[in-house]
Amino acid sequence: MTALAGLAVVGSSAWAKPVAKADVIRLGMIGTGARGAGLATLIQKMPGIELVACCDNIPEHLQKGMSLAKKGAKAYTDYRKLLDDKSIDAVIIATPLYLHYPMAVAALQAGKHVYLEKSMTYDIPQAIDLVKKVRESNLIFQVGYQYRYYGLYHRVKEVIDQNWLGKITHFECQYNRNSNWRFPVSDPKLERAINWRMHREYCGGPLSELCAHEIDVVNFMLNAHPTKVVGLGGINYWKDGRDTFDNIRTVYDYPNGVKASVTSVLSNAYNGYSIRILGDKATVEILRDKAFIYAESTNNAKGTVDGVTGATLAVTTQGKGVELKFGEPGEEKLEPTTYALQDFFSCIKTKKQPISNVETGRDGSISIHMGNAAADTETVQFWKPEYAA
Amino acid sequence: MCRMQVKRLKKVTLWRLGSLLTMLFGFTQFQQLTELKPFQLTGLAQGTTYAITYYSQREIIQKPQIDSIFSRLDQSLSIYSPTSLISRFNQSATGVETDMHLRQVVQKSLAIFNETAGVFDITVHPLVNAWGFGTEKVTTLPDSATIKSLLACVGSEKLRLNQNWLRKTVPCTRIDVNGIAQGYSVDVIANYLEKHGIRNYMVEVGGEIRVKGRKYPQNTPMSIGIETPTKNEFESASIQTVIEVNQGAVTTSGNYRKYRQVGPNRISHIINPKTGYTSQNELISVTVMAHDAIIADGYDNALLAMGLSQALAFLKHHQNLDAYFIYQKSNGAITDTATAGFYKFMR
Ligand SMILES: NC(=O)c1ccc[n+]([C@@H]2O[C@H](COP(=O)([O-])OP(=O)(O)OC[C@H]3O[C@@H](n4cnc5c(N)ncnc54)[C@H](O)[C@@H]3O)[C@@H](O)[C@H]2O)c1
Repeated sequence: MTALAGLAVVGSSAWAKPVAKADVIRLGMIGTGARGAGLATLIQKMPGIELVACCDNIPEHLQKGMSLAKKGAKAYTDYRKLLDDKSIDAVIIATPLYLHYPMAVAALQAGKHVYLEKSMTYDIPQAIDLVKKVRESNLIFQVGYQYRYYGLYHRVKEVIDQNWLGKITHFECQYNRNSNWRFPVSDPKLERAINWRMHREYCGGPLSELCAHEIDVVNFMLNAHPTKVVGLGGINYWKDGRDTFDNIRTVYDYPNGVKASVTSVLSNAYNGYSIRILGDKATVEILRDKAFIYAESTNNAKGTVDGVTGATLAVTTQGKGVELKFGEPGEEKLEPTTYALQDFFSCIKTKKQPISNVETGRDGSISIHMGNAAADTETVQFWKPEYAA
Repeated sequence: MCRMQVKRLKKVTLWRLGSLLTMLFGFTQFQQLTELKPFQLTGLAQGTTYAITYYSQREIIQKPQIDSIFSRLDQSLSIYSPTSLISRFNQSATGVETDMHLRQVVQKSLAIFNETAGVFDITVHPLVNAWGFGTEKVTTLPDSATIKSLLACVGSEKLRLNQNWLRKTVPCTRIDVNGIAQGYSVDVIANYLEKHGIRNYMVEVGGEIRVKGRKYPQNTPMSIGIETPTKNEFESASIQTVIEVNQGAVTTSGNYRKYRQVGPNRISHIINPKTGYTSQNELISVTVMAHDAIIADGYDNALLAMGLSQALAFLKHHQNLDAYFIYQKSNGAITDTATAGFYKFMR
């Protein structure tokens, strides 16, 4: 950061206020594919943040990134060159999963604050090592799990804390789609670079790329990590040369017997993204940008009386879901990632570690790898004490 | 079964005629009651649910009859329908010619307005809207200037009911009978059942109840549960207390289901028609027993708005009403109390 010490503490609404020129955060983006371009678009609207460098090795993607960057920004094809630029304060890394660890380590070594897209690392040893590296660095390190910053999830956590759901025993998470999950390739040479999600060499398949968010949400809601996991997966529908699963179902066990099923199916899109939290008093169903509560109709004595008098019940509250309102009335609803980025920049200024940090990121990544290992080996995978040193 | 009846007939011919007649008379009356069966009608109306149970030897009333009563009531009293009579009154500058439903509801409402010194007031509608409990969606809270300007339209003294005409003295006056229309609807349906010779029934619309007689074939009193207040709008309530009533109406008004959350504040749906602001007191819910549901329903809101001590004082002078209160003590604990008359009905 080109800013000086003794800076006023900036709240979460930081970017609403103009920031003095000297306080500008100079940012580099490594990986300007779909996600990187999306992030760059959001950053364009954020005062005090300048995207001054982009790096990608697919020319069209690099061009796209540059078109969203500040005028005069530098373009790179080698991320190490970008990291050599001393005027850059922070980097966003939005590359395929297998590159997350080497790029993040190099960025920390270059003294940059890091916003690393989810999921954090390709394997368990990298996750554990990255925690060490961040702790040694004194730099801000955030992992791209934006739902931790989204009012919808805060509201769900709040009603859980207020015991609206009663005793929570299960989570049911699914991240489904009905497509081959491939992106068009202009030049056959780029096939693997673009459709890296099809190959284990580059990522963990649906669990690391889709369900990662939901696993992180469960960890967040329970303030815990799983203790063990079972799972089954396969390539049974899209037999197109991929070697990552096209369907996987895992069950994670958390403290006190709470279980979370985490599923991804690439041949059905009904309620594509959904997390159901089952309590003995009610269920919450979280969808993309909404959540509903469904009350259990057990604990009442209605069966034993002939009629019930009470304040008028609206029809919608009987048996059907009630939408969980969040945010202030009339408040503009922003893309969840906006809140995550705002907080990253605010953490850089206030020198606080973010809510979605290297430890929560490690727990997410280890959970993902345990789930894939369970499906690969068809054996129970246990959380090992050395994971959370 | 046929054969048995023939046998019995043969037997009875041996009996003396006098004793036969007395026996037969008593027997058939008893038999008629034990032959009563429950018939149940349930559905959706007035934005809520209804449930009717009547005891009869055969089916006398069917759902379409009930639904057409509701639709007549809506045409008259629903502020959600822009073409209803009440909506036309609200849109008009001077007033409308009423029908039976609107006349009766307004008449009772004005009586309760007077009786409660203005605590119950059907002209509060513009304020209800401004506070976000009405037909219009609002995202902000009204400021004092808005409230002041709306107060100029509020006050039932601005209404005149003369025979078939309901007039207003100020064009902006609007009425909202939602606080009493459900009770009235319960009465209309109960009267309809009685007109069809039904003597044992329970009519419930959105938690407002009128009951008469007993239930069969058990031949026991009907029981009514009073809901425990819930913390939030979706939680299914359990029963706090059970009462048994042979005849009359029971309605409940609660502060627990209707509120707006604005930031950290819960905005109560009870609006003081005199100040224009929402009011909050220790009462969580009030259950009222009266002869008619319209009376019970009209007073439950008023009592809820009065607060506990004023409500109890009011009930001392209104022996036709009994009430049960659930409230929050100053130490935060939730407790209940009732008028002496009410306790007699508790099971
Ligand atoms: N948080 C979210 O909701 C979210 C959403 C989508 C993607 N993501 C994550 O973002 C990351 C990227 O996903 P995507 O959808 O943008 O994929 P993508 O394939 O569209 O983009 C990845 C980009 O990285 C570039 N790249 C690859 N190797 C590189 C290298 N050595 N140097 C520089 N650039 C290189 C590629 O050319 C490509 O442009 C993944 O980790 C993914 O999980 C997160």
